[in-house]
Amino acid sequence: MSVLVLRLAAPLQAWGASARFVRRTTESAPTKSGVIGMLAAAQGLDRDDDAGLSRLAALRFGVRIDQPGTRVRDFQTAHHAVTGKSMPLSERFYLADAVFVAALEGEGAFLDELHTALRAPVHPLFLGRRSCPPALPVELATRDSSLLQALRDEPWQASGWYQRLRGKEHTVSLSVLREPVQGEEHGDILRDQPLSFAAAHRRHALRSVVSTTVEVPNPRAVAPRVPAAAHPVPRHEPFDAVEEETL
Amino acid sequence: MNRIFLDVHALQTVPPSNLNRDDTGAPKSAVYGGVPRARVSSQAWKRATRTYFGQEHLLDPSELGVRTKKVAEVLAARITALDPAIDGTEALQLAAEVIQGATGSKIEAPKRKADAAKDGGQEAAPESKYLMFLSARQLDGLAALAVEGAADIKTYLKDKDNKARAREIADTRHSVDIALFGRMVADSADFNVDAAVQVAHAISVHRVDNESDYYTAVDDQNTDAESGAGMIGTVDFNSSTLYRYAALSVHQLAKNLGEGLREEEPRTAPVRRAVEAFVQSFLESLPTGKINTFGNHTLPDAVIVKLRTTRPISYVAAFEEPVTGENGHLRGAVDRLAQYVPDVERTYGDEESTLSWVLRVGPNTEQLAGLGTQAHRLSDLVEAVGQAVAERLDKPV
Repeated sequence: MSVLVLRLAAPLQAWGASARFVRRTTESAPTKSGVIGMLAAAQGLDRDDDAGLSRLAALRFGVRIDQPGTRVRDFQTAHHAVTGKSMPLSERFYLADAVFVAALEGEGAFLDELHTALRAPVHPLFLGRRSCPPALPVELATRDSSLLQALRDEPWQASGWYQRLRGKEHTVSLSVLREPVQGEEHGDILRDQPLSFAAAHRRHALRSVVSTTVEVPNPRAVAPRVPAAAHPVPRHEPFDAVEEETL
Repeated sequence: MNRIFLDVHALQTVPPSNLNRDDTGAPKSAVYGGVPRARVSSQAWKRATRTYFGQEHLLDPSELGVRTKKVAEVLAARITALDPAIDGTEALQLAAEVIQGATGSKIEAPKRKADAAKDGGQEAAPESKYLMFLSARQLDGLAALAVEGAADIKTYLKDKDNKARAREIADTRHSVDIALFGRMVADSADFNVDAAVQVAHAISVHRVDNESDYYTAVDDQNTDAESGAGMIGTVDFNSSTLYRYAALSVHQLAKNLGEGLREEEPRTAPVRRAVEAFVQSFLESLPTGKINTFGNHTLPDAVIVKLRTTRPISYVAAFEEPVTGENGHLRGAVDRLAQYVPDVERTYGDEESTLSWVLRVGPNTEQLAGLGTQAHRLSDLVEAVGQAVAERLDKPV
């Protein structure tokens, strides 16, 4: 099995799983439908190409929370283009300052194809919402390993300031939300398994998600303080600097 | 598919202002690099860009189209103009049938007006349920079709080829603003247009904490006996140097515009005009929030434009670590870009095929000079970009 590893980082991201109408919420991690949608956009699939989509949706999906970010609420007004009347107020939520590593497991040649598509996509990529372009190119690598192994091996992608903030931890423990392997007990249920992106009948199935954690090294960990005994206090005599006055 | 992306990057300093506010009246904000930043939403700037087209007459009205529920009336007028023998109710009926056939949306007299007509009021004209946005070219095409099938429009549209032609007319040669910003028609999914433009939220390159201005106003009619203010209040504001970014899929734009609005010109001409209008409008426009309170009319200090065959790249990560400037933030932001852009382009970009332009103001932006072909005026930049786009479009894959 091969794995395509992505880095999802941007000032703003938005991953809705149950957002409807005027209140557009976001989950705290990328959804499968959102990431698959991004790949579909890269390939230039038509919205009603359900066969093309099912090939993508069959990939096993997992995501690692490298930097959780904070939630930003956006309040939006709109006016009718002709009458000038106010439209319903809408609320949008974003994840600000977050970094994720997403991984998709599947057949190698197909993943290579996707990797290439991400480099020269048909439609510009975005992280959950059109106004959220990635801060850096998203594709990291395709690897020959399992989903879990890839999420374990990928170096910590958090920003420098965030790694320094957790500088006391030599290894950090990161949450992983992934699809279960065969025989594994089912976890939480999320409705984000895409069945169709057709505008007339957008459909998602339930998907089970297992939460675990992985340990990765912190490249910006600071050396722990050496205990006092190892460093004898140097002699300090303030008056040494003062020359004795001779009469 | 031949992929062409244009990305536009701008640094723009705005003095105390409140361009885009939330429901508490405070300027919008976000967190990036662990610190609060000023933010102007993508929606706000898209609206400003779109409004600017019309105000500044960057495009001919015929390229902008009309947005109305009364599409049947608009089309009927064109049918009559084309064939004066058809007018009045007949033209309206033809128009309604053709629009229905082309878009799949119901065109009928609104119930309230139809009821009023039954009670002896004026005959109600059929309308669409949603605002329809049709370009002049689409209306002309549909009118010609209506005249052609005027003898028996229902049978005419039942013919598979004719129906397909009607749909084709309504789904190509879109007006420039629809082609750029997209369209959603609620009850007719295959009549949607995917936007060619992606605009990011503008964020400040540095830490910004909102400030609050406490003000009092005098009541001129108060006598000395009535001391005190006529009213008091607060206005929230901030000032910032913003990083602005937009990406334009030129290939999508070309697809949306179709063969163009004028018969005699090359296929690339309408795309070129749309690209030029977008670049100019995106760079010159400003959301109007509290503009009369703060008078914050500014223009970008530095602009970088890239034309690529691989994916567009945002440079926002250059500012993830907030700029801390002693002499303003522009210099610091420029230094960052001057380092970051060559770096990220070498790592991820396609240096060979990517074209770059730079437009800049003042000594603080000197460091950007090497990043691309320098344009001396915005109009030079716009023209150069338009020309390069047209050349790329003409190139065989």
